[in-house]
Amino acid sequence: MGEGRGVVAAGLGAVIAVLLQVVVAPNIALASALPNFVLAYALVLAVVRPDRTGPVLAFVLGLVFDLLGSGPVGAMAFLLVLVTFLASRAFSVLDNDTLFMPLVILVVSTLVVELFYAVFLMGTGFSAGPLDVFLYRALPCALYDCVVALVMFPLALRFLASRDPQQPGKPRLR
Amino acid sequence: MALNFQNSDATPLRRVLLVLLLVVSLVMVTVYAREGADGPLHAVQNAVASAVAPLKFVGTSAAAGADAAGESLGNATADESTLSGLRQRNAELTEQLAQDEELRQENERLRGLLDLKGTYDLDGVAARVVGRSSNAYSQTVTIDVGENDGVDTGLTVMGSTGVVGQVIATTGSTATVRLLTDPGSGAGAIIQSSRAEGVVRGSLDGLLYLEAVDADVVVNVDDLVVTSGLGGSYTRGLLIGRVVKVEGSPGDATRRIVVSPNGTAGALEEVFVVKSPVADDAQGGDQ
Repeated sequence: MGEGRGVVAAGLGAVIAVLLQVVVAPNIALASALPNFVLAYALVLAVVRPDRTGPVLAFVLGLVFDLLGSGPVGAMAFLLVLVTFLASRAFSVLDNDTLFMPLVILVVSTLVVELFYAVFLMGTGFSAGPLDVFLYRALPCALYDCVVALVMFPLALRFLASRDPQQPGKPRLR
Repeated sequence: MALNFQNSDATPLRRVLLVLLLVVSLVMVTVYAREGADGPLHAVQNAVASAVAPLKFVGTSAAAGADAAGESLGNATADESTLSGLRQRNAELTEQLAQDEELRQENERLRGLLDLKGTYDLDGVAARVVGRSSNAYSQTVTIDVGENDGVDTGLTVMGSTGVVGQVIATTGSTATVRLLTDPGSGAGAIIQSSRAEGVVRGSLDGLLYLEAVDADVVVNVDDLVVTSGLGGSYTRGLLIGRVVKVEGSPGDATRRIVVSPNGTAGALEEVFVVKSPVADDAQGGDQ
């Protein structure tokens, strides 16, 4: 996939992720857990295009998520910029051309983002205990995000990953 | 495991951009936390909420449509399997019955709101819930009335059985309601039987907790809890719910009193926004 088309496809995917977050996510809540399509997409993109995805898209996606919700503006933007960078670097270093490593990175990253988002909320005055926040929101939401990310991952591999066979760091389904 | 170091090609520019964006994010979080509800970031957040309200309405409608489509698909499958005109007619009637049942339930809810309005002698405006929060940490809903209908921030919002929340943001045609079950909400409350005052707060587990009640007050299951109006945040004398559980006994400083909520974000469909205060002699008030 050419770089120009790749960027367009990534941008289109971002728009779809935001739309899913606004339109679909509130209607598919499981108990109190809502999926975070924006987070899942940003992480999947960081793993599928580890060397080509800069921090700007993650920042924009996080900022949009912050503006759509009622949490502190900038919190998700900060976390997405940081964690997508770390995820892409981790994948570049640890990639062993199997499906295992990207999945581990996705799962760990979603959990880290949800946990630290909860920390941001509590730091800015969210009135709930840490244990409640972890048990009732962060953990269920992280699990839900993982499911969404795992659904997105093969789609992203199909439509967003580079097809250059010489390009290292490209996960392959085996 | 084969380690792959070939992709560590982040350019200095990209790293500078990364740091810059991280700093910008943190600055925004700090500003957001320090500014008031009228601050610029809150204003932008409200503007975005207003802009995406129609999309949320689409989502709610689509969810209802998907339910109906699923039901129709089930009926259609049954028709094909039996190839019976009678069954097809039966499916149509079943669908009609489902629609009638939907209308009946809506009628019942609206009648409940009307009864509530009459019972409390309230002035206000009825509204439909057109959207729900896309963030797991907030229990808010968007309703289809706003400033053009006289709705303003701070107004109390009721479901068919009592108080469900408070308007926290408005636009011309929509308003955002923070439900009582939101962890950030709190309502001054009175236990009707003992007149003991407290504060009802939401929680992440979806329950309402009555806090700050004097330790020596006797609280029983099924006691009614109504708004006290203290603090001016909620209209006085409206039903919040019933005490459903009391953990601990009088004198116990760590006593937990659980109150049944009147509504959750997923269940609310129609609400009533209260514009006028409740008369002192209204039911549920001083008795």
